[in-house]
Amino acid sequence: MTGLLANPRVQAALRLILGGFFVYASLDKIASPAAFAKIVYQWQVTGPVASNLVAVTLPWIELLAGLLLVAGAWRHEAAAVIGALLVVFLLAAASVMARGLDVENCGCVSLARTAAASAWPPAWMKGVGWFLVARNLVLLGAAAALTFVPPRCATATPPSAPGA
Amino acid sequence: MAARVVRTLVIALAGAAVGLLWNALSGRGFALGQSVLVQAGDELVEAPAAKALLDRGALFLDARPRDFWKVSRIKGALSLPEDDFDRAFADLEPRLRRAGGVVVYCSGYGCEASHVVARRLRERGILAAILDEGIPAWQDAGYVLEPGSPR
Repeated sequence: MTGLLANPRVQAALRLILGGFFVYASLDKIASPAAFAKIVYQWQVTGPVASNLVAVTLPWIELLAGLLLVAGAWRHEAAAVIGALLVVFLLAAASVMARGLDVENCGCVSLARTAAASAWPPAWMKGVGWFLVARNLVLLGAAAALTFVPPRCATATPPSAPGA
Repeated sequence: MAARVVRTLVIALAGAAVGLLWNALSGRGFALGQSVLVQAGDELVEAPAAKALLDRGALFLDARPRDFWKVSRIKGALSLPEDDFDRAFADLEPRLRRAGGVVVYCSGYGCEASHVVARRLRERGILAAILDEGIPAWQDAGYVLEPGSPR
């Protein structure tokens, strides 16, 4: 498994998927920080002022780390930042679920408040629940691989000819 | 190893700094020192003060969707849902204009419905206070909800 994760092509794919996801996820929040602050507050993990600070800083950390991952610069460190964010998101989601709170839109990607029942994505994909936990665990696995597994060197030494 | 930790912190701190600068300079920002739900003209009232108003006969309005009001509510509260404001307001307007005081509440924390309803009432010349943090604050202060009618 570690050998597969060390494959440079696999690492490049993980970087592009994980980095691209976080860049995309940051855009709506950066465009509408007040709307994002309301959603952060709905999680009831932080008070109103702390929710405001999270809302104005978190999307830019996501954007910067995502861009670095896509570009392949400081990729171990960028993946570590994203991994740390995902751990925080998972703990917060566990807290929300344990308290039985109904957070209609987690604010993870889109900030749209309400949608028709038939709209995409469906409510179970937008709210805080098991889908969010599973998705973040998958993303956390990718971030851990990029943080801790060094890519295998792409250039292999050709076998030397006999007598050479 | 130390260099990696420093670079990791640089990413996090640089992102946070850009976010704070963007909030201050972009024109899309908002005041960080107060709840983002509060706007100029909103009058917030803490649960104990709201209870005193209730005891003095103030009219309480439940801004949540009517199904929630049917399940439970603050004693005597009438339903004025944000999502059905115009119709419900038409029914309640005479009572609202006679009331000695009006307090609006919703489900608290990120709930904006009470703020929206209070602003719409203000536009119609009716001043209404907003129960700060809504029902959770009411219950945290030791006050109970009454069960709604099964209608």
